[in-house]
Parts: sequence; C-alpha cells; structure tokens
Amino acid sequence: MAKIKFKLNNKEIEIDENPNLRLLDVLRDKFEFTGVKEGCGEGECGACAVLINNDIVNSCIVPLGNVNGKEIMTIEGYSETKKYDVIKDAYAEEGAVQCGFCTPGMIIASESLLNKNPHPTEEEIRVGLSGNLCRCTGYNMIVKAVKSAAKKGDGLW
Amino acid sequence: MKDITTSVLKIDNEEKSKGSAIYVSDITIPGMYYAKTVRSTISKGKIQKITLPEMPENYTIVDYKDIPGKNIVRIIFEDQKIFAEDEVTYYGEPIMLVVGPDKLIIEELVKQIKIEYIEETPVFEYVNSAINYNFKKGDAKSAFENADKVIKYDYVTGYQEQLYIEPQGMVVDIEGDKVTLTGSLQCPYYVKNAVLSALDAKDSEVRVIQAVVGGAFGGKEEFPSLTTTQLAVAAKKIGKPIKMIYEREEDMEVTTKRHPSKINMEAAISKDKEILAFRANVGLDAGANIGLSGVVLSRALIACTGAYTIDDIEVNGDVFLTNTVPNGAYRGFGAPQMLFAVEMFMHHIAKEIDCDPLKLRLRYLSKQGDATSTQGTFNDPIIMNDMIKKAMKESDYKAKKIKYAKEDVYKGIGMSWFLHGCGFTGSGESTHINALVKLRKDKNDKVHILIAAVDMGQGIRTTMMKIVSQVLDIPLEQTVYDLPNTDLVPDSGPTVASRTIMIVGGLVARAAKQLKENWTPGEELTVSERYKQPEYIKWDEDNFVGDAYPAYSWGVNIVEVEVCPVTYQVTLQHVWSVYDVGKAIDERIIMGQADGGIMQGIGYGYLEVMNSKDGRIQQKNVTDYIIPTSVDSPPLDTYLMDNPYPLGPYGAKGAGELTLVGGAPAVALAIEEAIGKKIHKIPVTPEYIMELMKNGKN
Amino acid sequence: MVKNVIPVSYSEALDLLNERPFKIIAGGTDLMVQRRSWAQTPPKFSEDVLYIFNLEELKYIKEVDGYIVIGSTTPVEDVLKNKLTPNLLKAAISIMASPALRNMATIAGNIGNASPAGDTLPILYTLDAIIVLESIEGIRELPIKDVITGPGKHIIKQNEIIKELKLPISVFTNSAFEKVGGRKADAISKVSFTGAVNIKDNKVLDFRIAFGAVSATILRRKDLEEKYVGLTKDELIGKVDEIVADYDPFVRPIDDQRSNKEYRKTVALNLLRNFIETL
Ligand SMILES: Cc1cc2nc3c(=O)[nH]c(=O)nc-3n(C[C@H](O)[C@H](O)[C@H](O)COP(=O)(O)OP(=O)(O)OC[C@H]3O[C@@H](n4cnc5c(N)ncnc54)[C@H](O)[C@@H]3O)c2cc1C
Ligand code: FES
Ligand code: FES
Repeated sequence: MAKIKFKLNNKEIEIDENPNLRLLDVLRDKFEFTGVKEGCGEGECGACAVLINNDIVNSCIVPLGNVNGKEIMTIEGYSETKKYDVIKDAYAEEGAVQCGFCTPGMIIASESLLNKNPHPTEEEIRVGLSGNLCRCTGYNMIVKAVKSAAKKGDGLW
Repeated sequence: MKDITTSVLKIDNEEKSKGSAIYVSDITIPGMYYAKTVRSTISKGKIQKITLPEMPENYTIVDYKDIPGKNIVRIIFEDQKIFAEDEVTYYGEPIMLVVGPDKLIIEELVKQIKIEYIEETPVFEYVNSAINYNFKKGDAKSAFENADKVIKYDYVTGYQEQLYIEPQGMVVDIEGDKVTLTGSLQCPYYVKNAVLSALDAKDSEVRVIQAVVGGAFGGKEEFPSLTTTQLAVAAKKIGKPIKMIYEREEDMEVTTKRHPSKINMEAAISKDKEILAFRANVGLDAGANIGLSGVVLSRALIACTGAYTIDDIEVNGDVFLTNTVPNGAYRGFGAPQMLFAVEMFMHHIAKEIDCDPLKLRLRYLSKQGDATSTQGTFNDPIIMNDMIKKAMKESDYKAKKIKYAKEDVYKGIGMSWFLHGCGFTGSGESTHINALVKLRKDKNDKVHILIAAVDMGQGIRTTMMKIVSQVLDIPLEQTVYDLPNTDLVPDSGPTVASRTIMIVGGLVARAAKQLKENWTPGEELTVSERYKQPEYIKWDEDNFVGDAYPAYSWGVNIVEVEVCPVTYQVTLQHVWSVYDVGKAIDERIIMGQADGGIMQGIGYGYLEVMNSKDGRIQQKNVTDYIIPTSVDSPPLDTYLMDNPYPLGPYGAKGAGELTLVGGAPAVALAIEEAIGKKIHKIPVTPEYIMELMKNGKN
Repeated sequence: MVKNVIPVSYSEALDLLNERPFKIIAGGTDLMVQRRSWAQTPPKFSEDVLYIFNLEELKYIKEVDGYIVIGSTTPVEDVLKNKLTPNLLKAAISIMASPALRNMATIAGNIGNASPAGDTLPILYTLDAIIVLESIEGIRELPIKDVITGPGKHIIKQNEIIKELKLPISVFTNSAFEKVGGRKADAISKVSFTGAVNIKDNKVLDFRIAFGAVSATILRRKDLEEKYVGLTKDELIGKVDEIVADYDPFVRPIDDQRSNKEYRKTVALNLLRNFIETL
C-alpha cells in the first residue's frame, strides 16, 4: 500500500492503494470509467489509452505508482471539453466509429496529437494514431476525421 | 423523399465516442462471481486422473457432470463438447471452470488442479477427412482427356484471426429458474438454442441479451455458444451471477479462426488456348471439431470459378480433422481461400499459355444469364465490365502495369475480381432459419424494430431504422431499435453471411409497408413478416445443383505495392475498390464496411501470420499476431455502383463480406508483379518473398 | 509482506536500494507486461518495487565535457524531441513502439530489459555509450557492452541504479538505423542494422556497424571495424564483399514466432551491404 495523489479529470484524488495495480483496473473498477477499455493488456492496442499530463499513455501498463503527482484525463473527463466535441463530431461525420471499442482510445490519441501538432499532415496523423489498433475501419475514415477536426477546430489547439 | 443512400449520423456514435456504451466487460452484477477455464495441456489423449485441491467455501468446479442436458454445443453440426469428458482432442480444450468470488483465489485453485493424461499421437496433417463434398458441372472428365495441356498449381492459405479489439466475454445472471446471458455475440438465438439444449430447459427459462459488441467478424458467431453454455451450466449449479471475460492470449489461443487450406487447381487447356475445364480440390483444416466447417467448405467449393464462367468443372473438397484449435466462421466463410486460389490460378494459366491475363480473364468473366458453378443462373444484371473499367481508370492501372513490368522496379499493381453469394448457402434460409421479424407501433406512434440482428459496428441499427423511417415516412427518431433481447424479439436469424440487410432488412421493409397500410395514429399495432424463399430459387443440397444463393454482390479491388529488395518488406501504396452491392442503404456505412473489409483482406494476404506448432498457436498476442496499424494502411478509394436488386430492400444486397474476399489476391498479385515470381501462398510475408526472390519461379 | 515505495528523492531511492532488494520500475512498459496477471488483479511482483519514474532529478539531457548526458528517467519521447540528442538515437526512438509507449518508456529500461531486440541498444553500442551506475557505495562508469551480458542479463548490482547515460559526441558523415519489424509501427524488431562512418578528405576515419536481434547481445565488432579504417571511400565500397563475409559468421539469429533465422541473417547482411554500397 502507498498513498498516491493525482488529479483525475480535474479532480484531486488521494488514495491508499497497492501502487502495482494497473491504472486501467483502478480507473475501471474504482472509478467505474467504462470508456477506458482493455483490448490486449500489454500496451499494444491503445483501447485503454488515457492522457497523463496531456500525453497519451496506455493505462494497462501504467502502474498506479507512476501516476503520483500527475494529471490524468480519461475520455469521461475529456468529453466535457469543446475540443472533444470537435473531434467527436468529425468522427461521426466521417464515419470513423464502427464497433466503438477503439474509439475512446482513438479520440485520446487524436487529442494527444493535435495538442502537440495542431495542423498535422496525413503522415503525421497516421503516426499519431499508430499505437491504436482498429479492426473495423481500416483507419481511412479515422484519419480523415482527425484531418477534419484539425481544420474545424482551428485555434482550439 | 430522400434517397436512402444519403448518409445519416449513426445512432450510437455519441455513446461509443464518450465511452458510455456498455460492452460486456462493463457489466457488473452485485454478488457476481468470476470463472476461469481449465484447459487441456496436451493435443490428444485420455484424461486419466484429475486431482482437485480442497475447495474453499463459495468456490466450485463446474464440468461435464454438471450439465443437465446434452454435453454438446448445439449448432449446425453437433460435435463440440461443452466440457471434455474422458478424452481431449486439442491443446486448450475446456475441461472445467473454476468459479468463485475472488479472482486471486480462483487463479490459485486453477494452479493446484492436476490433470494426468495418457497421451496419444496427435494428427496435424490433412489425413482425417470428416466431410467430403464433390460436384460436377458439364463434363470435365472428357475435357481433361482431350486437353492439349493441363496446368496444375497448388495454393496454400494460413490461419486468420478475427482480432476483434474487444475480447470474447459473457455474463450470466440467474433468478429462480431463469438464466439471462448477456454478452458479446453475433447470434442471440444460436446462443439461446445452445443453452436450452445444455440445460434441458424450457424456452421461457433462457434469455439472451446482446451487449454492445466490440467487433466480431464471424468470431462471435458460434464461439459464444460454447462460453454461454458453460456459464449457464455453472449458474444453474451455484445460483450466482458469473462473469467470464477472456484475456487476449486465451482468446487468441482457443477461439475459432479462419480455416487454413490447401487447394489444388487444374485447368484443361485446348490447342487454341481456351480454358476447357477446371478441377478444384480443396482441403480445409477444421481443427478438432467439425462445427461449421461443412458450411465453410460448401461456400469455398461453390466459389471455385470465382467471377468466371467455366462450363465444365469437377470439384472435390474435404474437411480434415486435426488435433488443433477448432476453426470456424470468419467474414468471407471459405470464399477468401478459394478466391485467392482462383485469381492466382487465372494469372498463372495466362503466364503458361503466354496470354495477357487481363484478356484471358475478360474472356471468362461471368455475364448475366450464365450458369453458376452449381448450374444455377446469374439472374440479375452483372455490371463487372463497367466496374473493371472504373477501377482501372481511377488507379491508372494500364500505365502502371507497363511501368512496373521492368526488371529493376520493385513495384506492382494487382487487380482481383470476385463475387460473394448473399445470404445462407442453398436453402439454409428457408430450411434452417425461417426468419421472423416484427414491428410494434406503440401508443405514441413510436415504431419498435423487433429483430435479433446484432449491430457489431456494421451499423445495422442505423440502417434498419432508416429503412423503417423511409418506408413509413417518419423521422428516424420515431423508430426504436434496442439491443436484441430474446424475450422481446423473434428469431430473425443470426447476424452472419451478409444476410442481414438483404434478408432481414427486406422483411423489415415489408413489415413496415404492412404497418403503413394499417396505420392508425395513437393505436398499438404489431405486424410480422416471415421469410419466403423466392419461387425461382431451387437448390439440391446433396448434389450441389441449382441456385446456391438468391443474389450475388460483385467487386473489383486494385492494390498497388512497393517491395523493398533489401528487406523484402511490402509497402502498400494505394487501394481502389469498386463494388456492386445493389443499392447502399447508407453510403457512409457501406464505405466504412468497405475500408475495414479490404484491410482485413489485404492483411490476410500479406501481413497476418498465425501458425500452429505441435498443435499450439504460436502468435498469441497482438504483438506477435500482426494486423495493420494506421501507418501500414494506405489511402483507400472506394466507388459504389448502383445496380438495385429487385428483391432486396430498396435494391440492397449483401455487403459485409464482399469487401474482404478480394483483398488477398489483389495484394498477392501486386507483390507477384513487383518481384516477378509466382506466389502460391498467403500471407506473402517478407520471409516468403525472400525465399521467392532467391529460388522462386518467374 | 511486499512493501512498494515511491521515493521522493534520488537519494532516498539509493538509500532504499541499499537497505533491501527492490525491483526498479521506470516506465514499466517491459515489467508490467512481463508481470502481467489476470485482469483486475495486481501484476505479479514477488519482490518489493521501487517506483523511480517520477524522480525529476533524473530527467535531463545536457551536454557535459564532450558527452551528451541523458538522465535515466527521461521518457524516450523527451529524448526524441531534444535537440542535443544524436540523430542516430532519434532515428531509433522515432520508430520504437507507438506514441503512448514513447511517453513512458526509458532508455534505462531498454538497458535493464537487455533484449537483443531492444531498439536503442544498437545505437548505444555504436556510440560507445557509457552507462553510469550509482549506489550508496559510489559510481561506476561502464561501456554498454560490459553492462549487458546476455538476453535479459546484465551486471547491474542489486543496490545500483542506472543514473544516466553518457554518449560521447561523435561526428559521422553517414549514418543509418534500419529497423525491420513485422509492421511499420508498434512492432518488435526482427532484425535491426546500425551503420555509422566518418569520411573526411576521402579517408575513412571511423567505421562502426551494429546489429540487433541477430545474436545473444547486440553485435558489434571493433576488431572488424578497425580493418577498414584508413581506406578511401571507394576502397571501402570495393571491399563490400569482404566486409559482408567478415560479419557473416557472427550473425547468428534464431527462429521464433516472429521470423526465422534465414530471413534475419539474409536481411542483416543485405542491410550491411546496402549501407556500404550507397555511401
Ligand atoms: C507494446 C510495446 C511495444 C514495445 N515496442 C518496443 C520497440 O519497438 N522497441 C523497443 O526497444 N522496445 C519496445 N518495447 C519494450 C519497452 O518499451 C522498452 O524496452 C523500454 O525501453 C523499457 O523502458 P521502461 O522504462 O518502460 O522499463 P521498465 O519496464 O520500467 O524496466 C525494464 C527493466 O529495466 C530495469 N530498469 C529500469 N530503469 C532502471 C534504472 N534506472 N536502473 C536500473 N534498472 C532499471 C527494470 O528493473 C526492469 O528490469 C515495447 C513494449 C511494449 C509494451
Ligand atoms: S489494453 Fe492497453 S494497450 Fe491494449
Ligand atoms: S471501430 Fe471497431 S475496433 Fe475500431
């Protein structure tokens, strides 16, 4: 057990927990966030992606001990923002959502990318999403959605 | 009224985007237990002795002895056990569940279970035929006897894993005599019927509810019938809700995959370079059970001439049992294996008889009125010529073909032509399924779509609502399509075989017309429609004679690649596709299907390696089983043709599988051209390309 | 009872390591996968865990006395973005795993994991990196090749921590890192090649070659490299067959679920040949 403090979706959290726990399990089981999903449990698929200090990480391989003092944002928190609305609408309009299992992670990856690079090229978008596997869409429409979000949300990032 | 093809926003975008959609792993029930499967650790043998640890309170073992009904997963061919009894036939075969409230204790118990076996020699070769089908059209025998030349080639295809991003999972709840199974599944009624048989229960005692499904692609067609029956048996035994979510490794090791195959093709060629006849011999590796393999084999055999009409054919195929994980449904269902072989074969024939492959293929391309491989008739217009022209123009095919033909250019462009029979093979729709759909208008004039079709990302909920709103001329919001619950919706059949829009959607459209004719505002009304086989469709199942499918969708894929001569790696440059799916009910949804389908097909063709060594799957995680990422995927351009099918709703035919089946041959042909060596095997990995570049034949 | 600690300072970490054995976690991208257990249960650590990832004191990249010095808890993404970082190292990091991984993974972790397929390792070998190990007893500075002794094996002591890496600043006129994985991102190397040469006034002053995933540790042979120093560029290119033949016996890869030895060997030598021929 260890005392761990962090910000979760803008709220201060302090818990006494086993720091070995996967951040994924803590978010799903303790905080009941369903938007953080387990697709592989080994850092490969991105379904469990969240933002730590604005950067994408895969929560299935982040031990709780590593988030001490950090700011975590899950899709639940991010979906309260204006940027989310722009991305989400772009995903809908481009048809980028199919089964949806990868979608929250993809949106987190899109945010992490646009945050660093508000006007990415197609190549940069593909690299930005390269840790998020999607089996339904072939990525085409997701890439288009990020392009369109960057355009429509110009100035937000 | 709007053109139905005009896209609308999908109804579940919002909840899926923000993560509030409830998938099975998100379900918790107070007091819920967990289950872990204890599996065979050998490929074949007798179970001699099982030593169980002392079970703490609330922890239970569930095995075949607990099954009230039959120890068989009820599905098309009933040979799969729910739990192994005294023998095991593959590594990973389920023997029992350990069930209890705490996962750590369950794991500990699983570790302590000792199973002793008497090992037997497993079979991994194609020797043990469990099903043989063969049929003829015309007189291939004399064609081969009179041939000037016989051309023979062998083709081999590997496993393909569906790799839905959401692993398999199921939750069972129990109240009194009633068990409720909620899970990630494609076919609520398959599951219900399997559970009824396992529990020997009354119809009212079993209910199946679909959770939001995180991808399926066939992988959640029959497999969930196994896990649900296991959980239902466990719930009956201990009276507790139980959740079982597979870990990714477990999912990849023990769930069904696309059948590996070996296909021998022979062509009889005349003096004037005509193809007189085909012989095809197909072997499918079924793994340890037959399951759906017979149906997969039929689809493969029926596709033996691909998009071509060959008058004289002889077809033979076997389902071979091996002591490996059972294979099953995967988008395309036997067709991807066969179409790979056919498309490669047509090119290899062209090379041998020194003929331009495009000219040769055009000569045999099927036309309306031609006889199908099973002596049925292509009744509807075939517009492949236009589609091919379109694809060639968009991709600048001809010019590239010339440019890439040079020795030292490691680029290639490949084009595949293909068709996909829509709906169940043969009379399956009327004899096995007999779909029933209902529409209920409530007092507020909301129309509830009552069908068992599952939206697993292909957008069925949105398209069905669109059909109903279009027929009734009411806003989309006035229609309701909840996730299917077998207590509330009739059996409209499984969500498979590209049948949902064409068959179920057709029935829904008819029901909507009925409702329209009897519409009285403010009054409740339920209407139903049952499937009737079109009169002109005749099918002789035993001899493979007649119309195997009511309709066919058609497609052209063009893939452009570059191969690195230093590392033998393939880079996809661009993909163009043209499809005839009758009429798109929603353009954007079909385009999404097209993108996802083609990338799975191409992945199957060049990237996705899965093999079994000593009966064990070697690539058991997403690191080792490679599917394309966003940087592997090229731009995808898709064009849809309008060619309405008179019997489909608004002219729609099947679309879900068509988009996958041509990917592998297109990419393989592109690589073949880039390296100038004949390809006989998919996936065309860099390792294989190296071998070909060293020793392959031109 | 396992006692896991999140130290607040580097000196606390060193003290703790001296008191009792710990498993160090940096980014955790290797360890959390290796110790993975059933979902919803804690990963399987039988030893106490020391969480060092958030030690800000060890997050730095600076230039000191002819070395680029990288603090051990710096995530590779930060290393990638830093302008002091040598290009070869950037090349390796930029195709390591995926953005999410790069935000967590550290070079120290890549060393600690000591996989022959670790992507930063051939670069560290090529650059003659010095690994700075610290314990309460003091500091040891060792060349990377003396730190890693086999797959998953290294000589880092129980009470030691990788404090930083020192990369001697070197000049190359040509350099390349080629990673051959199963796909273009999110892939583990089947084989990798690193080449670096410095040619001045048509004379080869420096010639370095390293391979990843073709032997138990990264393959680099200074004895072979030295043979070719002092040649003109054309002479070097002219000796390509000899160079490939020199390396051939040392390229001894294995078969596994990701590839086979014939492929790994052929491609490793192809990459070497291609590098030299296109100098
Ligand atoms: C999905 C995925 C993809 C990957 N792709 C790649 C890839 O493309 N290329 C690649 O090279 N690797 C890859 N890896 C492996 C991994 O990310 C790297 O090896 C990474 O560099 C490990 O760093 P870490 O800080 O996360 O290590 P950790 O897991 O924290 O530690 C790894 C080992 O190093 C030890 N250690 C860490 N820091 C120190 C220190 N300061 N002092 C002493 N010991 C220490 C730990 O005790 C442990 O034994 C991948 C991993 C995953 C999960
Ligand atoms: S579940 Fe975390 S990356 Fe797949
Ligand atoms: S939408 Fe299904 S995995 Fe991406």
